[in-house]
Amino acid sequence: MTNKISTHDQSSGGSGPVILTNRHLLGIEGMSPIEICKLLDRGHMFADNPHDGVSDALNGKTIINLFYENSTRTRVSFELAAKRLGGSVLNISVAGSSVKKGETLLDTATTLNAMHPDIIVVRHNCSGAALLLSQHVDAAVINAGDGRHEHPTQALLDALTIRRRIGRIEGLKIAICGDIANSRVARSNIHLLGTLGAEIRLVCPVTLLPANIGNMGVSVYTDFEAGIEGCDIVMMLRLQTERMAGTETPSQREYFNLFGLDSRKLMRAAPKALVMHPGPMNRGVEIDSGTADDVEKSLIRMQVEMGVAARMACLEALIARSQ
Amino acid sequence: MTGARFFNAHLVDPSQSIDGLGYMDIKDGVITAIGLGTPLKDNKIARSVDCKKTILAPGIVDMRVQSADPGSEHLESLSTLLAAAANGGITALACLPNTRPVIDEASAIDSLCLRASRISGPRMYAYGAATRSLAGEEMAELGLMAEAGAVGFTNCTSSIRDSLVMRRLLAYSNMLDKPFIQHCEDHSLTIGSEMNESETSTRLGLIGSPSEAEVIIIDRDLHILRRSPARYHVAHISTRAGIDAVRKAKAEGLAVTADTSPPYFLLNELAVSTYNTAFKLSPPLRCEDDRQAVIEGLADRTIDAISSDHMPVDRDAKMQPFGTAQPGASAVDTLLALSLTLVHQGQISMTQMIESLSLAPATILDIEGGTLSPGCNADFILFRPDSSWIISGANFISDSRITPFESQPVQGLVDATYVKGMAIFSRD
Repeated sequence: MTNKISTHDQSSGGSGPVILTNRHLLGIEGMSPIEICKLLDRGHMFADNPHDGVSDALNGKTIINLFYENSTRTRVSFELAAKRLGGSVLNISVAGSSVKKGETLLDTATTLNAMHPDIIVVRHNCSGAALLLSQHVDAAVINAGDGRHEHPTQALLDALTIRRRIGRIEGLKIAICGDIANSRVARSNIHLLGTLGAEIRLVCPVTLLPANIGNMGVSVYTDFEAGIEGCDIVMMLRLQTERMAGTETPSQREYFNLFGLDSRKLMRAAPKALVMHPGPMNRGVEIDSGTADDVEKSLIRMQVEMGVAARMACLEALIARSQ
Repeated sequence: MTGARFFNAHLVDPSQSIDGLGYMDIKDGVITAIGLGTPLKDNKIARSVDCKKTILAPGIVDMRVQSADPGSEHLESLSTLLAAAANGGITALACLPNTRPVIDEASAIDSLCLRASRISGPRMYAYGAATRSLAGEEMAELGLMAEAGAVGFTNCTSSIRDSLVMRRLLAYSNMLDKPFIQHCEDHSLTIGSEMNESETSTRLGLIGSPSEAEVIIIDRDLHILRRSPARYHVAHISTRAGIDAVRKAKAEGLAVTADTSPPYFLLNELAVSTYNTAFKLSPPLRCEDDRQAVIEGLADRTIDAISSDHMPVDRDAKMQPFGTAQPGASAVDTLLALSLTLVHQGQISMTQMIESLSLAPATILDIEGGTLSPGCNADFILFRPDSSWIISGANFISDSRITPFESQPVQGLVDATYVKGMAIFSRD
């Protein structure tokens, strides 16, 4: 398995933490291509040296993971990233916390703020919640997913994964397939991959297509095979099971038939096409197991690995910005 | 010696086509004379007021106000609502029945209007709930509420979903000769919606409310009206399609009227871009083309009236993520100044603006006010249209201080508000 084809610029990635314009990392929209590339370069460096003490940027720093939605990989990924940089991590999940007792987001923010954390990583089911939190705390805020809005570190880790495997993003044909309407991963990837010069196609049933998305520099397909035709990357999104019970789509069976990815459909993509999925997967709904587990074609495990590296770059950048 | 004379006033009264410097005499709460120019000296008049060329116009009749009292007095009490309205130049207001308890029977109307009458403030009217508990299913006691003084019937912030219920409500309201006020929204299209559906909603990841949700209900109701004539009023209209439908219906001769509110002709959906919940309103702020259509609709009188759409909301309900924040904003304090923006921009004449704020709503509801004709109640305001100030919720007299126009400079300051010849507000 040759997962690590480093084509990045080692010198820039190794030159030190990235300095961002903004104090918080709330979304990809509005970030410059230079900032994005610097984060990716730094991410490359961390991916190359996952266990070495490359940086102790978070030494003596406190990072709070504040998760209003269940999450395994994102939370663990942030925790690992922070610990590898020497930071102390506190995890707060909503179940079993004062939030369950009716505390509002801003009251929780005020409480946490009084403990002087350096970074708060927040996931919330409402779009805009990370921005709201950032307006009321002194810590830098990282958006780990806000409603349907953005999930910037996911887009960064996806881009890092693509760059490490293919070496570039510019000029690639990338299909993002599935529940676009409800996906923050799709939105962040549209901004990021588009900013870096990829051609982006959205492939989904028309009922899962948000209004006027064509204005965001993408082309839209409702025929799966036509949509992924010739694509270098086929990125599948998770479809929540409640959306397959006759609401947005008629049934799970029909969805998999029309919009699920299997090895036969994947043949319509470019010969060396690669498959991605932000996880967690619904096997047999949006992707079949054969495709998901194909070590030659699937980048899904690598995405998880790159998640830690990308988040190390983000955490380090925000700490550097705050000093 | 009794009565008072207001002279050197810029009189604006659309009902009598008066627009010019002149005077007005009042006695025992009633207007006794009005005329352009300088009046002959009358020694019997006890008090003369030099208006110094400020505008003297009929008081504002605000036909869409939500009162938190009774039931949610912590948001706003009746007395602060009325004081804020007086400060804003409002001399009469019609309160929606979504109080707690709901105004769905005659005693609730009696109670609210009686309490309001003990407070020196604008004349207060109430709508009756169209259906019991506003559930949209069983008809409330419309006849008894009409006898108790209900000025119309409405289901407040929701449309009547069931077409048969709607048909019966329209027919029954018509039998009582009362208008039916409809908030036009096809709720099945707007479940969970957070803002207007558009590229902006897609970018922000907020659930969109498609603008056609308004016209779908208007069109349905117009079809019912053609078979069953009634006085039908579209509340806070906000979309081009809805306005076009009303325009056609009026041309057809149907008894249709409409009102809108300042956010819909001064703001568009882009205001939501920072997730500022002060801009979360119902109906949601629409696209720029809709905003233009609202101005056109006001200019050609497709939209008859402008109401404040005042809704008491406190900070707690707004200091939340956009999705869970409550819609609505405080508005009686700012209605006149915001509306005058269209006059200052040259979109609508002062006379027509005064008509939209006073005569038109008074006519729709068939209540006193909206005119300076001799013999009518002396409900009027004095205001300086060019005086500028900056809107700040913190300075509102209303207990509810959330406004989508925070920090916005406006022109138009009320100097005094009179109801039945008594000053219920005076800046001095």
